[in-house]
Amino acid sequence: MHTEQAAINVRVSALLEDLPKERSQLLPALWRVFEEYWLLEPEMIEAISNAMGVPYAEVYGVASFYALFDNPEGCRPIYVCTDVMCALRGSEDLLKSGQVGAKGTPVSIKGAPCLGYCDEAPALFDGKVTKTQVTQDALAQLIRGEKHA
Amino acid sequence: MPEVRRLLPESTCRSDPASPARFTERGWDRAMERALSMDPDEIIADVKASGIKGRGGAAFPTGVKWESVKKALGDMRYVVMNADESELGTFKDRALLQQDPLGALVGVLIAAHAVDAQKAYCYIRGEYRQAEGRLKDALGTLRQLGWVGPNGVDIEIRRGAGAYIAGEETALLNSIEGKRAEPRVKPPFPTNQGLWGRPTLIQNVETLANVAVLLAHDVNWFKEYGSSDTSGTKLIGLSGHVRRPGVYEVPFGYPLANLLNDSDLGGGVAGSQRLGAILIGGAAGTFLSSDEINDSVLDYASLARYGANIGSGALMVFDDTVDLRWVLRKLARFFSDESCGQCVPCRIGTRRVLELIEHGGLTTRQDDLRELSQAMRDASICGLGQTAPVALLSLLDRPDLIQG
Repeated sequence: MHTEQAAINVRVSALLEDLPKERSQLLPALWRVFEEYWLLEPEMIEAISNAMGVPYAEVYGVASFYALFDNPEGCRPIYVCTDVMCALRGSEDLLKSGQVGAKGTPVSIKGAPCLGYCDEAPALFDGKVTKTQVTQDALAQLIRGEKHA
Repeated sequence: MPEVRRLLPESTCRSDPASPARFTERGWDRAMERALSMDPDEIIADVKASGIKGRGGAAFPTGVKWESVKKALGDMRYVVMNADESELGTFKDRALLQQDPLGALVGVLIAAHAVDAQKAYCYIRGEYRQAEGRLKDALGTLRQLGWVGPNGVDIEIRRGAGAYIAGEETALLNSIEGKRAEPRVKPPFPTNQGLWGRPTLIQNVETLANVAVLLAHDVNWFKEYGSSDTSGTKLIGLSGHVRRPGVYEVPFGYPLANLLNDSDLGGGVAGSQRLGAILIGGAAGTFLSSDEINDSVLDYASLARYGANIGSGALMVFDDTVDLRWVLRKLARFFSDESCGQCVPCRIGTRRVLELIEHGGLTTRQDDLRELSQAMRDASICGLGQTAPVALLSLLDRPDLIQG
């Protein structure tokens, strides 16, 4: 455990090396670390706290505020919009089929509030890009693609 | 009438949206040169004379806001572009940034010159990666052209991380400062005490794009479109049961029914092809019946007759098969999930509204729902809690729409 923390400290401080060590850079810092691990566990929070010179509790408080950092499984998240316009176009079934299809894969399928693509519903956000007019087949392909990637 | 193209580029615009070629093609060189040749007070006078109102939902007169920031005391001033568009049914800023990212950034630079700000932030929601990429490229172009950089205004892009509340202006400021995105109590307003307690001008993407087109032309040109009350054009995010969902630019005063039905706009009601209702203004918007739609134009006074507001320009269309109680449940869930939890009326109120709706309260507990709504409107710190019950109340006031 001790060595794991040391390794994370090294990795995190390298990731944050060129960021100004200011409180206002905390959100950009959280993004960098999150996209490295797809996870913000206590060890990473500790490392960010050390690197940025911001108390652990403050880093935790900010990290835990934002929905996109809430990914305790550490799997690559795929967010399926389940809000009104996407739901009218079957996104709740899409979400269910995705969750079944993703079992045992390194991908986790989650419901999400409005992704802002109501005109091309249903939409999903794969953690990096948004895809629109998504079909169950397209989602299944995305899950399989992640698996073999 | 064909759709207007001012904020959105003409369809004949073929250059890369973030390129130097686009910068010239859209007249932003003219806008920048004109702005820099003008005294800041002259710019503010033009923005006031143009009648531009904030396009994020509050419709506050833009020039008045700029004047407050300019007059506020402070050793440093900031400009912030609010691109944290996360309101249900709202996607016009995303479309604008993807199609013409330079316009809004030019608006930021003009605003910074007018209020004497040295630093600007563009705060964009974390799920809008394609738009963020465009914005980054456009910023690179402005650096390359020398409009942004060490000798001018410094602009930094900030990515949100999935919090609807961060779009509330003071919550957004806290988020930039590296704090939890919880709203602040107002007053003091950001115009006086914004980022790090300094005077801060915070504007919606579309508002800033309006400023850019204004400066690329002049006040008279700007006022050629619009109504006698509200000049200019508005971006509308049309979604749901229409044949052609999308983002459209139309002049203020445009008949709502035409927005839905014109062949180059909504193209008519889809689904069952019989209009049930629209929800105008976003998640905290107002349901309107088809009679009300036929009697309304896209303007603040016209919609106020029915207790409605243009809001962010979201127009969600439902055919007559949609159970609006289901829509309301979705909205209630959205607000209870997105409440930041800081103040009691919103944290508990949004949750209780959801529970009441889920247990048939729309018919059996109407008085309780109204009383709870009033408490939320009176006592919540920010607009989220204050306006969360608006759609609910609009439906309670229109029992004919609930028959489903």
